[in-house]
Amino acid sequence: MAAYRADEDYDYLYKVVLIGDSGVGKSNLLSRFTRNEFSLESKSTIGVEFATRSIRVEDKIVKAQIWDTAGQERYRAITSAYYRGAVGALLVYDVTRHVTFENVERWLKELRGHTDSNIVIMLVGNKADLRHLCAVSTEDAKAFAERENTFFMETSALESMNVENAFTEVLTQIYHVVSRKALDIGGDPAALPKGQTINVGGKDDVSAVKKVGCCNA
Amino acid sequence: MWGAPAEPADSYYEVRPECTDVPKTRFKIKPGKTLSARKWQAAFTPEGQLDIGKTLSRIHRGGIHPSIRGEVWEFLLGCYEPKSTFDEREEIRQRRRLQYSAWKEECHQIFPVVGSGKFITAPVVTEDGQPIQDPLVLQETNSGISASSSKMVKELLSHGPLDKKVIQWMLTLHQIGLDVIRTDRTLVFYEKQENLSKLWDILAVYAWVDRDVGYCQGMSDLCSPMIILLENEADAFWCFERLMRRLRGNFRCTESSVGVETQLSNLASITQRHWAEVTISLRSECLWSCSVENFHFVTHYISGR
Repeated sequence: MAAYRADEDYDYLYKVVLIGDSGVGKSNLLSRFTRNEFSLESKSTIGVEFATRSIRVEDKIVKAQIWDTAGQERYRAITSAYYRGAVGALLVYDVTRHVTFENVERWLKELRGHTDSNIVIMLVGNKADLRHLCAVSTEDAKAFAERENTFFMETSALESMNVENAFTEVLTQIYHVVSRKALDIGGDPAALPKGQTINVGGKDDVSAVKKVGCCNA
Repeated sequence: MWGAPAEPADSYYEVRPECTDVPKTRFKIKPGKTLSARKWQAAFTPEGQLDIGKTLSRIHRGGIHPSIRGEVWEFLLGCYEPKSTFDEREEIRQRRRLQYSAWKEECHQIFPVVGSGKFITAPVVTEDGQPIQDPLVLQETNSGISASSSKMVKELLSHGPLDKKVIQWMLTLHQIGLDVIRTDRTLVFYEKQENLSKLWDILAVYAWVDRDVGYCQGMSDLCSPMIILLENEADAFWCFERLMRRLRGNFRCTESSVGVETQLSNLASITQRHWAEVTISLRSECLWSCSVENFHFVTHYISGR
């Protein structure tokens, strides 16, 4: 994708995945955030696509590499590669289609099965502009998000509502998790609770602190 | 005709006026280069045997005039032997049309939305074959069909639990619907409900017939041109079926892989061997992982540059 620039300067690179049922608007959320574009005529996603955008978090430049995939069950066969190294996820449902909200639980289970326990997850109710067709109440979604300990936001890729907020919030939270971990390790590595480490700069890990680097191969 | 300026082909595939950012087609009808209807017809003997060799170089150099594209594609895709006669082809055509309607009728018997001029975009059964009553489906199917879809499924269930292959098929129907409404949406052609449901019907019937593949995202894009080029639904189905014979391997899935991965792994090894520079540059940008799974992602990167 043309948005990818190698010469961009950044402090952190985070891999974020977009997941959720087919047709909920994952690709348009991605294009709205990375290119400020929205298309009513967008095609279904085949396989995997990605785009990047850098934002400022506190005094650092955080580059988000956002992966977008086909929602069809069939493409789940390639998920382990898709999730590998992800430190953030937007789990998207369509507020006008209740079934896409019902499936959120399955997506969450799969996500958690494939990623680090520190992954930052945001539940995203997209197409919030279609208020008159709303089939999932904000309260239900909020309650679910609280129960599952995820963030939650309703967005509209079409009206550009909350898209920026959703991604920025996820990236900021990741930044906090990662820098807290760095701090913890600096202080007393033994104090890190087991299973709580966030893997940065690992072999197969895309997300990384740039200075540590994943490209020293 | 000679020396006449090349004519753009956009008027043959009209784009909705509100879609302003659709790139113009790069294909141009070039007199003397593009295969014209006249040249095409001249390649047949009176009995209808085609000297396809006469047409191929033109097709290769200048493409096919949109007015004859459908019938030419039937030959190119291998639906008919060039050396067959008009009569032989007509017989095959009729036989295939009957076969298609028989399959479509089978599907209609299981799920009457097939062939009704409507289609669905929300699931109608759960994975264990229980009916789902999605208000959206009721809305999508209410007029014109006597029974609502949930009633249909209940009726099916009244003969005992659904067969596994029926469940598998029914689970793909809403996915087909979700993709049909996103396929070539910039074209005026798809403003017509009947063309949308034609695309849905063909893909639904195909999924029923080719159970190994069923339906996989991406297939709607392959099927769409057939419907645009061939007016008869059954003829369009058979062209699509022919194309799928070559491509179905890409869509076949096992527990751990998608068919296209084999191709990608081949492409990956070729690239690694012959395109060291690209490989190095990809490595340096954190993108390259030697694992095959990531290669589809890398190809996007290459093509996007």
